[in-house]
Amino acid sequence: AAGLCPCWVLLASRRAALRALCGSVRGLAAGPEMHFGFQTVTEAERREKIYQVFENVAKKYDVMNDSMTLGLHRVWKDILVRKMNPCPGTLLLDVAGGTGDIAFRFIDYVRSVRQRQLQRKLKHHQNLSWQEISETYQENKFKSLGDSQVVVCDINKEMLKVGKQKAQHHGYSEGLSWVLGNAEELPFDDDKFDVYTIAFGIRNVTRTDLALQEAYRVLKPGGRFLCLEFSHVSNPLISRLYDLYSFQVIPVLGEVIAGDWKSYQYLVESIRRFPPQEELKAMIEDAGFFKVDYQNLNSGIVAIHSGFKL
Amino acid sequence: RQASGGAGQGSGSARPQPLEPSLLRFLVCPLSKRPLRYEEATNELVNEELGIAYPIIDGIPNMIPEAARTTKKQPPAEGSKQP
Repeated sequence: AAGLCPCWVLLASRRAALRALCGSVRGLAAGPEMHFGFQTVTEAERREKIYQVFENVAKKYDVMNDSMTLGLHRVWKDILVRKMNPCPGTLLLDVAGGTGDIAFRFIDYVRSVRQRQLQRKLKHHQNLSWQEISETYQENKFKSLGDSQVVVCDINKEMLKVGKQKAQHHGYSEGLSWVLGNAEELPFDDDKFDVYTIAFGIRNVTRTDLALQEAYRVLKPGGRFLCLEFSHVSNPLISRLYDLYSFQVIPVLGEVIAGDWKSYQYLVESIRRFPPQEELKAMIEDAGFFKVDYQNLNSGIVAIHSGFKL
Repeated sequence: RQASGGAGQGSGSARPQPLEPSLLRFLVCPLSKRPLRYEEATNELVNEELGIAYPIIDGIPNMIPEAARTTKKQPPAEGSKQP
């Protein structure tokens, strides 16, 4: 972290140049050179490096999320699912969802909605015998999710492994499936899903435009795109504090907890390199989505982008 | 172990974990976006047209094109990865 300050000046100018290039060919990869954090690498190198980052951090991913964000990531993910407000029967595709955080929250949410539906239904049926009441509960036992389903798709085997273990440990199995796939080249048919989510994953996709196009393709007409991602803080004071925390504390935490300074250095840098709210909004619109909007959380440290396929 | 009715995981290492049947509704070849056939014998998802097969490992289908195996009449049984 110490040697970062002088590099910053050098890299800032390069960053500006790359930004300009990216801006003029918005939506396309900036030639053969891409950014991996603050380094410049080829597209192939970037994919490989990112794969390795997540391979290394997979087992400590959840612990690190809690320490780095002081548990806030749980709140952000809760807000995402509440915003989604899925009803039973919803088909969700969670991309880059490796360790299952969004998938599990989705399942819990539709399960509780379903419970309330059942309770309301029973309340309205007066004069039911105990027999009939117990039968109602029986027949709905196997539809506790009401045909809701979530498919978790991730490019990283290790992350999926951790996710599957967590699911088994917490008893999630119904309505949940796991697929190893690439967000830029999804192995799903057109017009299939009600909702597409990507939480803290789109930043690591090499060709964002392709991922957005694929998201559009696999969503049903009327389907919703939801993206939860680190974004840009405009308030200068908060921005300064956030930078301090990011560059001085997070890589240290990475070393102490996961024994991996470099991966977390990459993480912090990748956040700075990722397009800000308005730019991402424009990219989502370019992919064909309508009513694209974003909601800042914690002054823009995190933002939820939403769009619809109409 | 846990009270769940998901994909079978009871038997030991001999039998590979089967694919979640509902997944077959959604899955297509990532390259051609055409339907796939589940081959139980080799536990793979086969794209007949392109002659490639995607492996299923621990019940998780690996739909990365680089991981697919070519199914054309090649002598080596496995390990012939697509470039």
